[in-house]
Order: sequence, then C-alpha cells, then structure tokens
Amino acid sequence: MSRFKKSGSQILITLADYEEAVLESMVEQLIELLEGDGVRPATDDPFAQWEADMAEPNGLDTSDPVVARLFPPAYRDDPKADQEFRRFTETAQRRTRIEQANTVLSALMETNAGRDPVLVRRIEAEAWLKTIAAIRLSLSVRLGIETADDLEALEQLDDDEARSVLYGMYEWLGYLLEGLLETLH
Amino acid sequence: MPGMVFASTQPAVPEGDTVLAERPQDAPVEMITWVTIVWDDPVNLMSYVTHVFMTYFGYSKGKANKLMLQVHNEGKSVVSSGTREAMETDVNALHAYGLWASLERAE
Repeated sequence: MSRFKKSGSQILITLADYEEAVLESMVEQLIELLEGDGVRPATDDPFAQWEADMAEPNGLDTSDPVVARLFPPAYRDDPKADQEFRRFTETAQRRTRIEQANTVLSALMETNAGRDPVLVRRIEAEAWLKTIAAIRLSLSVRLGIETADDLEALEQLDDDEARSVLYGMYEWLGYLLEGLLETLH
Repeated sequence: MPGMVFASTQPAVPEGDTVLAERPQDAPVEMITWVTIVWDDPVNLMSYVTHVFMTYFGYSKGKANKLMLQVHNEGKSVVSSGTREAMETDVNALHAYGLWASLERAE
C-alpha cells in the first residue's frame, strides 16, 4: 500500500511514529540553523517590514558549510556583487524558509505523535518540498557528499557506523521527496 | 543600479529618433543580457529539479526535463535569460528551492 494518498486538495502521508519524530526533529534543527543569531519576525506593517529588510541584518555565518550550501553565491566570480545580493535577499529568504519549515512542523505536530497520517495541503506542497530538500542538502554536507562517488562510498558503510545512520535518513528523505512529487504530478 | 533586486523603476527611455545621436556608445545596463545558470550537484533529485523548472518557470515537462538532463550530463545549464534584476530574482527563487544557481553576463 502506498504511503502517499491523494485526497481532494490534500495529500496524506502515512509515517511510522519514529519516522514522524525524526522528521520533526530534523525540521526543528533546520529552523534553528536558519534563525542563527536571530531574524526579525514578519510583521503585518509593510513599511516596517521593508525597513527591517533594509536594515543591516544579522548575517548568517557562511563559514558554516551547511549555511554556505543553503545560501550559495549568486555571483561566482564577483564577491562584491555577491555580498550586495546577500544584503538585499538574505533576510527575506531566511524568513520565508523559516515560515515554510514551520508549516511542515505544524502539520507534523497534528499527527497525534505519528498515529494519524500527515496532512499536506496542495497549497503547502512547495513548502514541504523546499523544506525536505533543504534538510537533505544540510545532511549531504555533514555526510561530505560532493560527487556521485561519495554516494557510492556511503552505500558501502557498515550499518552500525554513525554516518550510516545519517545516510539512512538522507535516503529516506529522498524517498519522501520522490513520493510527494509522484503524488503531485 | 547593479545588484538592486528591489529596484523596479525603469529609467525613462527617449522616444523617437531625434535623440539617437546623443545616446552614449555603451548600451545601457538594461540592454545587457544576463543568464541564470543551474549547476549540477549530486544531491538534488532529478525529478525535483524538473519539478522546480516546471513550477517556477512554467516550462513544459519536456523543456524542464531537457534542461534538467543538461545540468546532470554537462554539469550546468542556462535556464533563463534577461535583465540583471530579473536574473537575480530567478537565482534567489532557485536558491529557495535548494538549487545551485548563479547569474552572469551572457557570452
């Protein structure tokens, strides 16, 4: 039986309770990473919002390779232009990603600790895809996946190695992403 | 203004031919074409990359799939072109999806 089921304008995902718990924890960690030293919460006042966006943001630490992968350079050969780009985009980008991760988190928290299927509204599908993709990317950095060969090496790991557990999560997230995409299209 | 993704006002463009002689020799910034490039990475799923091209750009499944395969097989692909501002918007959107995108002047 498929774990992904279309139901009107919703997709239902059946997760085991431990899968729900692991996913919830990974989403929380992503939010923590994105918040960094603090990103101002969104406000209803568009002018205050614009002011906040323009203010010098508490920049993310791009020396963290995970942050660097989630926020790659827009200009590969022009650090000055790249810095300018970050200045104008980073705060909003972080805020949106946090909102999307929170959308996923809320849905997970409404599953009665994994006893009920996860309910993904169609309009929230992109938030799900982006959040899962971001978690996969951050795991890939921790796993040192830079080339296809790295993936092959990870498949050869013994099951009891710590990295093997992480790689299992990475693979499972890929399965989740693929399942969502197949159900959407 | 370079790098200003929020700059939306276009400079006034003179109408008619009478001012042609006074135009500077260099093309105005807005006339220079920029491109958005997506680079290959071993992490993002092929189906996901295709989905992003379809959803964000509104490309057909065939076109999205072709671009995805080009990224996969050749290491990169030009996925859109236009003004610098438009390409910054595209790159920002693709980053939000976790794709490895950058912009540069068209060759």
